[in-house]
Amino acid sequence: MDILIDSLLAILTIYLAFRCMLAPKLSKAVFVFFAFGLMLALAWIRLGAVDVAIAEAAIASGFMGVLMLDSLRDFSLIFSKNQERLEETASKIPIKKDSYHWTTALALGLGLILFLLISIQAIWEVPQGGGLTAIAEANLPMSGVEHPVTAVLLNYRAYDTWLEIGVILMGLLAIFAAGGLKQYRKPGLAPAQDPLLRKTILIFTPVLFLFGAFLLYFGKMGPGGAFQAAVLWGAIGILLHLGGWTVFTVIPRRMRQILVTIGLGFFMILGFTQMATGGAFFEYPPAYAGFLILVVETLAAISIAAALTAIFAFLTK
Amino acid sequence: MKEFPTSALPALLVGLPMLLATMSLFFRVKGRALLGVLGSFLVGSLAFFAFIEVAKYGTIIHILGGWEPPLGILLRIDPLAAVFIGLTAIIGIFISLYSWWYFRARIASIGRFPLFWPLWFFLWAGLNGLFLSNDLFNLYVTIEVITICAVALAVLSGEAKALKAGLRYLLAAIIGSMAYLFGVALIYGSTGTLDLNLLGEVLKPGNTKTFALIVITLGLLIKKAAFPFHFWLPPAHSAALAPVSALLSALVVKGAFYMMLRLWTEVFEVSLTFAAGQLIGITGAAAVLWGSWQALLQTNFKLLVAHSSVAQMGYLLMMFPLLIMAPGQDADSAEWLAPAWTAGIFQVMAHAFAKASLFLSAGIVVMALGHDRIESLRDLVAWMPMTAMAIGIAGVSLIGLPPSGGFLAKWMLLKGVFLSGQWWWAPAILAGSLLTAGYVFMLLRLAFAPARVKDPFRPVPKILQVCALLLALGSFLIVIPAENLIQFLEGSKSFGSGIESIMKGGGYGNE
Repeated sequence: MDILIDSLLAILTIYLAFRCMLAPKLSKAVFVFFAFGLMLALAWIRLGAVDVAIAEAAIASGFMGVLMLDSLRDFSLIFSKNQERLEETASKIPIKKDSYHWTTALALGLGLILFLLISIQAIWEVPQGGGLTAIAEANLPMSGVEHPVTAVLLNYRAYDTWLEIGVILMGLLAIFAAGGLKQYRKPGLAPAQDPLLRKTILIFTPVLFLFGAFLLYFGKMGPGGAFQAAVLWGAIGILLHLGGWTVFTVIPRRMRQILVTIGLGFFMILGFTQMATGGAFFEYPPAYAGFLILVVETLAAISIAAALTAIFAFLTK
Repeated sequence: MKEFPTSALPALLVGLPMLLATMSLFFRVKGRALLGVLGSFLVGSLAFFAFIEVAKYGTIIHILGGWEPPLGILLRIDPLAAVFIGLTAIIGIFISLYSWWYFRARIASIGRFPLFWPLWFFLWAGLNGLFLSNDLFNLYVTIEVITICAVALAVLSGEAKALKAGLRYLLAAIIGSMAYLFGVALIYGSTGTLDLNLLGEVLKPGNTKTFALIVITLGLLIKKAAFPFHFWLPPAHSAALAPVSALLSALVVKGAFYMMLRLWTEVFEVSLTFAAGQLIGITGAAAVLWGSWQALLQTNFKLLVAHSSVAQMGYLLMMFPLLIMAPGQDADSAEWLAPAWTAGIFQVMAHAFAKASLFLSAGIVVMALGHDRIESLRDLVAWMPMTAMAIGIAGVSLIGLPPSGGFLAKWMLLKGVFLSGQWWWAPAILAGSLLTAGYVFMLLRLAFAPARVKDPFRPVPKILQVCALLLALGSFLIVIPAENLIQFLEGSKSFGSGIESIMKGGGYGNE
């Protein structure tokens, strides 16, 4: 039975990946991409990596999908505007043929297949189990949490996670940097006045908030944690924006800056404090480790959620 | 690694620029620039202090979170890392000073690019983190930090060509990161550790490791714009703002080189063969010839300098074939290893100084003329003698004329090539120098040529020219402490060592 489910999942994932690549229309590609992301999340669950599955479903499929849908709408607006002009110029200029040779395609294809085969062979030789699972679990009592993944992320390798929280902030700055130039003036987003939509969003908001908080707290004992919770909280911000409540642009500038940086900032100040009191960077006193990790995770989730909302607000501005 | 003294310095070298970057987000434009310049001196003095400490006590470590490897992550600053961190600090201070006046001078026309300062300090934190890292996965995180900041800085000007080049840069860099991550996963899966020192001990030859080495090396080659993967570099580096181009060319590409050097000499010894080194050497030689030739054909100053980066990075790769012993050779009696290492380190430093200076000079020229067509450099000597001098001095170091840092690098490389008997690299090294002389003298000829009809140069703040000139001089001054520096570097575990893969590791067929 297991092998049946797994092989079905594998075939579906690859099939959807191909459909996504070969889709004739952008809109179709985006929707197939949603389905593909969900299949991938299921595959992660089958592999026993529930943390990754939640992150995949929420970030890679959910948040990315929202951004793609949004850009899809922009594309359709741009194209409908430029359609006539494009058709006019297209009739004048002879269409340049792509210099596409079947030999290069064949060589590339063969190379890819060869690469895949060697990869599979290399992965095959990787021994089962092993890794650091045993010593990560042996040190759990000292770490302040009960879930090994959370212990690795927030305690053993807190430095990596701190840098990754920084990467999200940098990503936000990068989007601002790239947004310096607006190729096309987008028509302003008229706030949705649909009462049904607004009502639904209002109902969803507390549910999402509670579920996010649950994931955050549950991360101590099982799959979940800051990144997963952040996406759910970020979804609140995005939904409110879609409903016409432009929360992120209403908040004062100072507050926005604090929201976006507090995760990274608190983690960093905590690290410096630990060093000032004689420990190493990110060395928690064992007695307070659990509490401090929860605070760090909560603030990180707030920052990431704020960053996601800010990205959405900036791109749809 | 317990035997080394621990200190807070390594953590501070990453933490301080990160703190400054985060703090700068709360300031308005003016405050950010002020914080940036002051902060660059703070981080610089920290780097200087670290350098002194390493000279006194040797390698210094910091065990993050108090968890020792393999469970936790360890930061270590050994002489090799100290040299790279020091280099980043010196170049960083000059570029920060330049940027302060550059963005002020450009205020009327374009804007002040408030995002420059936080991104630059995040980038600095990433670079320091890379040099300090002793962990395969942590290295991945640091290159991610560097990539995001570098791409964001490259598109900062907001011009269409910068965005286009930046997107290509981003895609190439992400493919490189993914290839690297794939290799890391394979290695972690088969050894259960990520710490470089432990890996160096437990890694046994085998197909999985060889494949992991290949994908990791490929990923890093893409990131450092080695020959077949160099396509993203010239447009991205030339379309960026002047201080950003200088940062990208002088420092960011060196990060990937540093990683490759570390991984090859400290971790992957058992999987390397003589042929692998030769292959890397060939891509290096091809980059030297192709990049220099392309530079010679350019008609835009910044594109010329960017193509020259491709070539000069190629010299760095030609160090690798010399590090790997041919069958029958013995690393203990290989007297060419010290010259080869010296060549690599001095090429990194000389290129960083000279290239930063050239890109900053290009920024001055653009500011004065409004564009960077080489033809318009005519009469540069009369209008801006300092910038002309900076271009000349930096160019001389790139060519490798004595007594510049570039000369020391290329001379040592030639020495290593002949001592090791791998004479076939010599023609590429010499031809590269000749082509470099071609494009440098082309610039200088125009700079000295009188202008016939010409728009006047717009005035440019003197201090900008001073920054560029000092950096150019730096590429000469590094020769003075050369002997001490090499002595200092010999305290590093890998410096001066060679790779004897087949014989030491037991080999594929011997067991």
